Amino acid sequence: MVDGVLATIIKSFVLVNVLMAFFAFMTWVERKLIGRFQVRYGPNRVGPFGLLQPIADLGKMLQKENMVPEGARVKLYMVAPLIAMTCAIGAFGLMPFGGVATIPYFDYQFHLYIADTSVSLLVVAAIGSLGFYGLMIGGWASGSKYALLGGMRAIAQLVSYEVAFTLAVIGVIIQAGSLSFVAISDAQMPLWFIVPQFLGFLVFFVAAVAESNRPPFDLVEADGEVVAGYHTEYGGMRYAMFAAAEFINAITLSALGAVLFLGGPNGPFLPGPLWMLIKIGAFLFVLIWIRATLPRVRFDQLMKIGWKVLLPVATLNLLLTAVAVVYL
Amino acid sequence: MGIVVFFLAAFLAIVSALAVVSQRNPFVSALGLLGNLVSLATLMLLLDAQFVAAAQVIVYAGAIMVMFLFVIAYVGPRGEIGPGTRKPWQVVLAVVAGLLVVTQIVLVVWTTDFGKPSSIDDAFGGPGAVGQAFVTDYLLAFEGVSVILFMAAVAGVILGAGARPKRLTTDQVLAKEGEAEARRRAASRAAIEAAREAEPGEAR
Repeated sequence: MVDGVLATIIKSFVLVNVLMAFFAFMTWVERKLIGRFQVRYGPNRVGPFGLLQPIADLGKMLQKENMVPEGARVKLYMVAPLIAMTCAIGAFGLMPFGGVATIPYFDYQFHLYIADTSVSLLVVAAIGSLGFYGLMIGGWASGSKYALLGGMRAIAQLVSYEVAFTLAVIGVIIQAGSLSFVAISDAQMPLWFIVPQFLGFLVFFVAAVAESNRPPFDLVEADGEVVAGYHTEYGGMRYAMFAAAEFINAITLSALGAVLFLGGPNGPFLPGPLWMLIKIGAFLFVLIWIRATLPRVRFDQLMKIGWKVLLPVATLNLLLTAVAVVYL
Repeated sequence: MGIVVFFLAAFLAIVSALAVVSQRNPFVSALGLLGNLVSLATLMLLLDAQFVAAAQVIVYAGAIMVMFLFVIAYVGPRGEIGPGTRKPWQVVLAVVAGLLVVTQIVLVVWTTDFGKPSSIDDAFGGPGAVGQAFVTDYLLAFEGVSVILFMAAVAGVILGAGARPKRLTTDQVLAKEGEAEARRRAASRAAIEAAREAEPGEAR
């Protein structure tokens, strides 16, 4: 909050571009890794090791015809991917990447985060839940039953897992005594919260996979049941925006996991941003690993896991944490 | 900067509030209400109430409006209001309610002293200050609300579960099936006899 408006704008610009580049790179990593898990090569034709594949995909998406399906509500149909994308990027903006950095020669000091408010965690949760409106509006405005079903599945899934997710995170909040990301990272200086909050971490992780609509919880776009879910009727760049929003949500949730349970940007020897990158990368690797190995759950199983397993476990964790914090 | 954000958020709040009541499609109306809630959260941010702003977006925009949209999408085109559905008593009621709100606004603005802005400290509006207020000055109201919410949760479970289907023993199920079978046989026998009686008449 110390930095001026101009510095904040520059930092936001840099962060958004780094995030988009990281997202493009991660799509390549994901395809490559899944290829390896399935004893294939993955993309290897465009550029060295297939590294230019994301750029080729982007070129392809940009050339697609701009289609609007019959029976769609045009304005809402157009704006839905924008909502999803804006919220995905916005939620990432509050992640901390370290303390104070200095630019050499100019002797200019700035913070390695865009903003640190007393309610950062709540703001991320708020923006993240607004992002789901993009899915719901997109599904509804497409004027297609499969898209509508996909959008409604997204909402049902969000509502079910948001509860367990929040309860799991409250354990961390109680232990750190703050909602600010910087304070939470600093509270884990000797010991990462993944050790005392292991139960909470498990709930957080499963709920995070479900909230980012990734396999095995990608019921929202289960191709055998609802074609492609909420983005059935979308093509070209608008589809790409939905896909990007989904993956950036996964990156944001990984960053959230890194901050809440793995000590955030704090770590020995390496600078803060690098530590964050390593921790986010570790989370994303596990997400891709899970995608390559686990089959998709059924919808009733999804609901059962959310309400009958995660919610009681998260509540138990919350009670234990509260007792431990008060009496130990 | 603050004044620009204020007028922008206030304008959006009014426009979205008008959209809520003027749109015929309930889905679009609900989206208007969503925009209204987000604009109000922005106004609260300007009043140094960060916690209330964040909680407003999470609870109302993130959870309640999502359920509204879910139900509206579930009901589908049946929810859309056609022309000529407005009833006269609704118009009267709306005018009265509107006048009441206007009176309230006028009274509040009239009696408020805008001369001196109240001073607040840094902790104001943060989660710590709000939590402190909950468990000290407003403990009774806070606990009362939690009891009401708990009742609502229990009521939701009871209403959602509905009446329990009666469990039948194997004998009862077999007896029911036997009854149904006997009824089916009697019906078919009656049909055949009716056809036999009708046949000679048809043949002629």
